[in-house]
Amino acid sequence: MSKEVFSQISPSEFFYRNRDLAGFSNPTRSLYTSVREFVENALDACDHKKILPDIHLSIKAVDPEQADPKHYILTVKDNGPGIDAEHIPLAFGTVLYGSKFGLKQARGMFGLGATMAILYGQITTNKPVTVKSCSDGKTLDEFVMLLDIQKNKPVIQKHTTKEGSKTGLAVSIVLEGDYSKAGSKIRDYVYQTSLITPYASITFEDPSGEKFHYARIVKDMPRPPTVIKPHPHGIDVETIRRMITDTHYQIPAIDNKMIDKVKKELSLKKNLSPKEILERAQKRWSDISKPVRTVISVMSFLNIDFEGLKKIRIDDLDVANKTITYWDFGESQSHAVELNPDSPYYKQLASTVQGDTLLTFLTKRFQRVGPTTAEKFCEFAKFKPDKRIGSMTNEELVKLADALQKFEEFLAPDPSCLAPLGEEPLSKGIMKFFNPEFAAVWQRNASAYSGFPFVVEMGIAYGGDIPPNGLKVYRFANRIPLLYDEGSDVVLKIVNETEWARYKIKGDPPLVVVSHICSTRIPYKTVGKENVADRPELERELKNALQYLARKLAVHMSRQGAADMAKKRANLYSKYVPLIAQFATELAGKKKEPNYNQLIRMGSEIEEQV
Amino acid sequence: MKNKSSAKTAEARKKRLLSLLEQQGINIYDHLDKGKFPQFVIPSRSVSNIVYDKKIRQYILGNASAVRSSRNMSQLRSYTQLAWLAFFVNRLVREGKSSTLRDIYYSSQAFSIDFEDQPESDNIIVDLEAVLTSPREEFHIFPEERSSVFGDLTIEYTVPGYEGKRMNLSDHPDGYLIGPSLSSAELVDTSAELVIAIEKGGLFTRFVEEKVHKKFKAIIVDTAGQAPRSTRNLLRRLNNEMGLPVVILADGDVYGEHIAMVIKSGSANAAHLRELTVPDAKWLGVWATDIEKYKLPTIPMTESDIKRIYDLQKDPRYQEGNWKKQLEVFLKLKRKAELEAFSKYGLTNITDKYLPAKLEESKSF
Repeated sequence: MSKEVFSQISPSEFFYRNRDLAGFSNPTRSLYTSVREFVENALDACDHKKILPDIHLSIKAVDPEQADPKHYILTVKDNGPGIDAEHIPLAFGTVLYGSKFGLKQARGMFGLGATMAILYGQITTNKPVTVKSCSDGKTLDEFVMLLDIQKNKPVIQKHTTKEGSKTGLAVSIVLEGDYSKAGSKIRDYVYQTSLITPYASITFEDPSGEKFHYARIVKDMPRPPTVIKPHPHGIDVETIRRMITDTHYQIPAIDNKMIDKVKKELSLKKNLSPKEILERAQKRWSDISKPVRTVISVMSFLNIDFEGLKKIRIDDLDVANKTITYWDFGESQSHAVELNPDSPYYKQLASTVQGDTLLTFLTKRFQRVGPTTAEKFCEFAKFKPDKRIGSMTNEELVKLADALQKFEEFLAPDPSCLAPLGEEPLSKGIMKFFNPEFAAVWQRNASAYSGFPFVVEMGIAYGGDIPPNGLKVYRFANRIPLLYDEGSDVVLKIVNETEWARYKIKGDPPLVVVSHICSTRIPYKTVGKENVADRPELERELKNALQYLARKLAVHMSRQGAADMAKKRANLYSKYVPLIAQFATELAGKKKEPNYNQLIRMGSEIEEQV
Repeated sequence: MKNKSSAKTAEARKKRLLSLLEQQGINIYDHLDKGKFPQFVIPSRSVSNIVYDKKIRQYILGNASAVRSSRNMSQLRSYTQLAWLAFFVNRLVREGKSSTLRDIYYSSQAFSIDFEDQPESDNIIVDLEAVLTSPREEFHIFPEERSSVFGDLTIEYTVPGYEGKRMNLSDHPDGYLIGPSLSSAELVDTSAELVIAIEKGGLFTRFVEEKVHKKFKAIIVDTAGQAPRSTRNLLRRLNNEMGLPVVILADGDVYGEHIAMVIKSGSANAAHLRELTVPDAKWLGVWATDIEKYKLPTIPMTESDIKRIYDLQKDPRYQEGNWKKQLEVFLKLKRKAELEAFSKYGLTNITDKYLPAKLEESKSF
């Protein structure tokens, strides 16, 4: 029989083995993904602190003479808040270290991507990452470090501190990439990012030294999103389990500090027996604090003194099976003691670990759930409102999660966690980028799918500097341009289903549609996060937005059409009326032609009668 | 036996037409001069406006009419085309020249009037027919199709270069083409007492060879299938002006029956015209009932033959009498017989036996 070896792997190692999932499948895609991750982190950091972003991106070949794929130095510099020196090694040197765990709209999630890019750079070139940060406007810290993949730990090679003048962060990595193939996508990415971030100034210097500069178009930051509690519809069993774990009261760690606290509250001067301590506690029960009550209860069941308490660790208090399990350091073994449910201390212990009632849990931990809704929900889900959430069995948790999904009387999700760009900045961006003959924008009201709020904003532009090459769609999600997998995207589906002829658009029109979806969770179809799935709620919002804008365009087109028509009309009458006059003169047997000039003038002035 | 009861001789019809054209011209001229948009009123030829008139026994147009106005931009082009056609017809008639439908299509290009294709110009010609209630043959516009006539009939040409010249139509055994000059000729004299219209050129030749024109004192007309308008017009004039009865011989099938019907009471296509029917014409055969009676060899009907029968059964003219009865028998037989079928009993069987028998029979209906 062969022996299987199980070993734990670190998150770094996991990502290293699965880098395809995160968009690092080949040198072309990896270069593009790295650019995205750093630029988006920089923009997120500025947004967070309400700083108008100034982003500098540069890609330089280590050896320009070499053929692609080759080593490139990628540097992204921002004017954001920077990161405190003490957090830098962990923030850039470990996977899964981040601050973005709250529920609000942001470009990236958890800040994982940047670390992935650093990891990718390291494994392809074996070069360290350089991070320069100034968070106080006075000192500039520079770290040069590598990642220990197995241990998921940073290895600092160099740390210097200099005088700094402005806050900001600059990250520089060396990685294997293929700019000859990734170049056009990266340029598109920078162009489109500037379109959807008109309050940012973005500069990109490519390997040939060419500079692409997109100046700031608007000077006002859009309203920042707020962090909110989750909506009941957007919750699964695992999330509930986590919420419960960090909600209910733990058995306090019984250390010297805790024992001193107990002694103080009970005014114990000398060592008493467990029995004497319990008697003393009984007398003062209403005056002593909750943790102390818990410690006393534990003492009562285990029947040990303070010295004994110090030698054990409470591992589990299983209310359902009425047992308490502890680890005895002295004996190095585990003990289980049965609890007597009739004991007055049992109730104390049980309520400690059982946490809040379901009613309190619902109102405290979810957005827009009040006591009335919570009670209605309990009735719907067939739970007692005073049921302790800590006492729920696995089956009950599944039942609860299921009911949270199905209950229809919860209010719609709170959209305050969303940060759409806004109609004015979007419109200004479109005017500046396309200089169109006609443009219109619209921001829809917030809507929701499966408990996740979203907002659709859309713009349409026609004519002017737009080349007549047919309809072009710019897709954005949470202010990120979506460049790949266009074919299967819901926005494109909606655009293609539109009967443009109904809006007086024919042939290959000089037409641009800009679509921006904001949500706490964009329903991407694939892990590549480049195409949005066709959720019916989302589809409806997109369709409404597009139809509204298309109707506005149609009005413009008819006005334009009317002007063209008048011209055509004038031409037609100048051509045909003299002919009619010629024929009529001969038919009528006259010599002189009638005076028809008046008629030509009238003909070109009549309103079209359909 | 000369009969010129009708006042509408060729010359009279020409005068009437020129006068109508002049009126249109003056009307347009005055409108232009006063700064008003001229328009044509065209009787509507849509299906809903075509009705069967039992009194005059032909399809006619109802009261609905359409206005084609130069005020409407989308009609300006076709208005101008119609004005041009009136102008061009005026020239044709005054100069005594004739033209084919295709000529018209090309002639327009000299005047910056472009028709997209010939169907478009053909349509404008029909419009003018409706406006002036005159067939295009009076405009000196003819289709390519031709049919023939043979028999003792003296005509007098009115076409330029032949004015006053007379001609007898029994001098050439292949018959005479019914073309522009014959259509515009005056009918002067005839000794015939009957007109026999026959569907097929082959039989027409046989009839001449067998001297049917002498034996039956008849003028023979080859309709070459469905009779062209100029032929129908000639048949009408022979009937009206010369007082000759008209009888029709066609194949023994649903199409043959309808050829007879169109000569008698016109087609829906020409519902806007009145001078093309011979209401007293008689359909001699070949009837469906003749097929059994004369034991004619038959061929099976095709699906489209049968469909055509169902279509005609909806036509108001086929709702009674022999017309209705024969359709029903055709439908029952689902077989048909051509005129040539009589050859089974000898080449002269049709002229020696069938024709006299049917003429005799026709006296009773």
